[in-house]
Amino acid sequence: MPRYLVERTFPDGLAIPMTEQGAATCRTVVGNNTEELVTWVHSYVTPDKSRTFCIYDGPSPEAIRKAARRNGLPVDQIVEVNVLDPYFYR
Amino acid sequence: MEASRKVARQMAAELLERDSYLEQLATYLRRAVSGQGAVVVVAGEAGVGKTALVQQFLPAARKVARVFAGACDPLSTPRPLGPLVDMAGSLGDEFAGLLSGDTARHHIFRLFLDHLTSSARPTVAIFEDIHWADQATLDLVRFLGRRVGIAPALLIITYRDDEVGTRHPLRVALGDLATSAATHRVVLPPLSEAAVHLLAAGSGIDSATLYHRTGGNPFFVTEVLAAGDSGIPANVRDAVLARAARLSARAHSALEAAAVIGIVVEPSLLSDVFGPATEPVEECVSLGMLRSKGGVLVFRHEIVRETMLETLLPQRRKELHGKVLAALRAVSRPDLLASLAHHAEEAGDATAVLEFAPAAAGHAASLGAHREAASQYARALRCADGLPLETRADILERRAYQCFLTAQFTQAIETHERALECHRILGDRRKEGDSLRALSRILWCTGRIVESGKRAREALALLEQLPPGHELAMAYSAMSSVCMNSEDAEGTLTWGARALELAQRIDDTEVQVHTLNNIGTIELLRGVSEGRQKVERSLELAHHAGFEEHVGRAYIHLAWAAARTRRFEMMDRLTAGLEYCGERDLHLWRYWLTTYRSRLELDQGQWTEAADSAAFVIHYSQGESMSRVPALCVLALARARRGDPDFWPLLDEALAHAAPTEQLQHIGPVAAARAEAAWLTGNAVRIDAETRPMFERALEVRDPWTLGELAYWRWRAGLLEEIPSGAAEPYALQIAGRWARAAMLWTQIGCPYEAASALLDGDEPALRQAHAEFERLGARPAAAIVARRLRELGVRDIPRGPRPATRAHPANLTDREFEVLGLIAEGFRNAEIARRLSVSAKTVDHHVSSVLAKLGVRSRTEAAREAGKLLNNAHLS
Repeated sequence: MPRYLVERTFPDGLAIPMTEQGAATCRTVVGNNTEELVTWVHSYVTPDKSRTFCIYDGPSPEAIRKAARRNGLPVDQIVEVNVLDPYFYR
Repeated sequence: MEASRKVARQMAAELLERDSYLEQLATYLRRAVSGQGAVVVVAGEAGVGKTALVQQFLPAARKVARVFAGACDPLSTPRPLGPLVDMAGSLGDEFAGLLSGDTARHHIFRLFLDHLTSSARPTVAIFEDIHWADQATLDLVRFLGRRVGIAPALLIITYRDDEVGTRHPLRVALGDLATSAATHRVVLPPLSEAAVHLLAAGSGIDSATLYHRTGGNPFFVTEVLAAGDSGIPANVRDAVLARAARLSARAHSALEAAAVIGIVVEPSLLSDVFGPATEPVEECVSLGMLRSKGGVLVFRHEIVRETMLETLLPQRRKELHGKVLAALRAVSRPDLLASLAHHAEEAGDATAVLEFAPAAAGHAASLGAHREAASQYARALRCADGLPLETRADILERRAYQCFLTAQFTQAIETHERALECHRILGDRRKEGDSLRALSRILWCTGRIVESGKRAREALALLEQLPPGHELAMAYSAMSSVCMNSEDAEGTLTWGARALELAQRIDDTEVQVHTLNNIGTIELLRGVSEGRQKVERSLELAHHAGFEEHVGRAYIHLAWAAARTRRFEMMDRLTAGLEYCGERDLHLWRYWLTTYRSRLELDQGQWTEAADSAAFVIHYSQGESMSRVPALCVLALARARRGDPDFWPLLDEALAHAAPTEQLQHIGPVAAARAEAAWLTGNAVRIDAETRPMFERALEVRDPWTLGELAYWRWRAGLLEEIPSGAAEPYALQIAGRWARAAMLWTQIGCPYEAASALLDGDEPALRQAHAEFERLGARPAAAIVARRLRELGVRDIPRGPRPATRAHPANLTDREFEVLGLIAEGFRNAEIARRLSVSAKTVDHHVSSVLAKLGVRSRTEAAREAGKLLNNAHLS
């Protein structure tokens, strides 16, 4: 399964509170993703919360987009990536 | 007692850890009762307890619904529509009569659907073991799956998911079902270690080892526990044998005979084959190998039967098959033909095989189980050495046709060549010619164009020397078809005229249908208005005469023309064609229609739908079929236009497939797609190499649209000064510098992306508009190119543009469907919606059905209510 980096822009800033509601939102996102066989690995968020860089595993760019649509998330750009980690070279 | 403790343990294994799944089934049943039907797919490895689960569910189901149950046979050539045959008794005499007669398949499907949907009581239909299903049953499941959502019906299907690889025919059916909101999947896992521990309590067997060896498989666990303290066998087979070892010799022998007969064993048949069997059977039942169920005997599990079969000595197995054959042939029922052919082959009785296999094939073909028909003919051929050459040739021709219908092209070609050998030896030039003509068609489908033309000409040469007849007329028409596919309009018309003249003389409808189609299609492609009428007339004639395959061909050509000339109002016909082909098992035709649909969706800016349609064809069509090529281009363009990764490999595969054909119809679109991809990625230098050969061919052939598109890309790359005459209007306008007019024309035609692209040559306001439109479509690379041009003009404040809509679509509605839902919620009727969206009423009907199915509701009012909820959620998120 390819790995993708998905860039997103949130003009109003992304808000996922560290509360039960926030946890519920994450669970919904994960649930919707499974319908498209997409797995959210993790995300990097800018300090002002206006942009995110999300790492996903999924079968195709179309699946990533469909999952995003189900979750009401914008998609700016999808790039296929492989992991490169300094620890691999120990 | 020992036996009852074993049985109790067996039942316990079946009940453990299944409560949540039973609850799920109960929920689906409740919804079905209230009118919201569903398909439940129960998947799991062999022996995990799928049948047991269904059996446990039945009592609750029977309280509120009628239940029909049927299963598929573990034969290499199963009975066509086997499960329906099982259910025929409960469905009524009328139904049983239909299945053995000559009824058209779609009538049977519709009647069964009526049974499910229009009874006062809700209905539960169970199809077991569909990994063994014949093609007709798979098509029935797909047919029902799409229609059961708004009926008070529950369709439960079970299958062994460890036996269904990616190329298994069941995959297509499952893939199809998965796209519907009314389909649910239940995957049964093996038992947990805790459960195994519970079961093993008091048996003296170490539960950790037991769990490790059996993987928690309930069947395997029960076998081991039943065998007692003789150690844990290495595999299931040994476990079954250990249990069977406790049978008396006579009972063991009876069990073997039963295994040969099949999963369901009628006691009378068993005594015919084995002799008096009451006591041996009782022994098998009390030891848990067989069960008594409604007057017949059933193996406790297919694994038991399979094991017993495997351990039979070949000689004994042959003998038993012979006895079953002898006993069965007295009964004359068409649905037994498949079994008879099977037993005949296993018994080594060539005469019997030749008696039953061709008949079984014919029966299967009539029900649309073409894969099974092809296998039955192959079986007959294996025993055909002693047959007269003429009969053998006939069976070969029939098999070749069935292989063609199921897209098994390599086998079809090979079988045809063997048939040709026979005709040559017999000196039957007429049949040889006809066979060459049929072979030519198959070669075209696999992209072996040059050979295809050669064979067609050989056929003609042969048949022209004989008195004229159907075969010669078809050969003329085949030449006309070869010309049509090479874009030779004159050749198509000339050969077509000869074919028609002869066809009218001998009053041959098939030739008229075929030729009218060829002529009409080439005219349609060239923009001659009478062309459409001719193709539609061909379709009508074919439909009347029952030439299903020719109806499919007409639909494909309409779709081809619609895609090439961008006539989106013809999408209706495509939808109708998909419906027709879906009902009638014309799979190959369906792939072609879907591939053209993907192109039409792409060109209208519906990129998500286009990608889906294309992905379907790419995934499921055989590697040899040319229908992949356009789909690969569409998916690649959807990705390239959005700026998504992974499109060059698709374009490379498309080129590799298309290039050997040397045909403009295949390579042209690939060249254009590669040119566009190169341009979007800043590699315009590649456009010359990519488009030159096809551009030159397009100039010769003079097809307006292919010529126009390739000319356009060469012009963008700075390689073209003048518009070639005959190029399609929007491209001609663009190259002439009249970009505003071109943009307007593209908008009128209905192509938003091309319309925005036309504005690239415009002034600042035009560029701004293009930028906004590209942003709306999600076309990032094109938007970036426009932004660059604006900056070159000195413009600083390039807006980010309106963001693409980020509404959540929880029911997975497409944008178009969401639009339609909104209009439904506002109370508009279909005709009004059609007018507002500038599409046909039929297209709106299609969208409305899709919306209702995806939302799981039965009426517009309910849909409107759901719409209210969805819109509220969208505002909150």
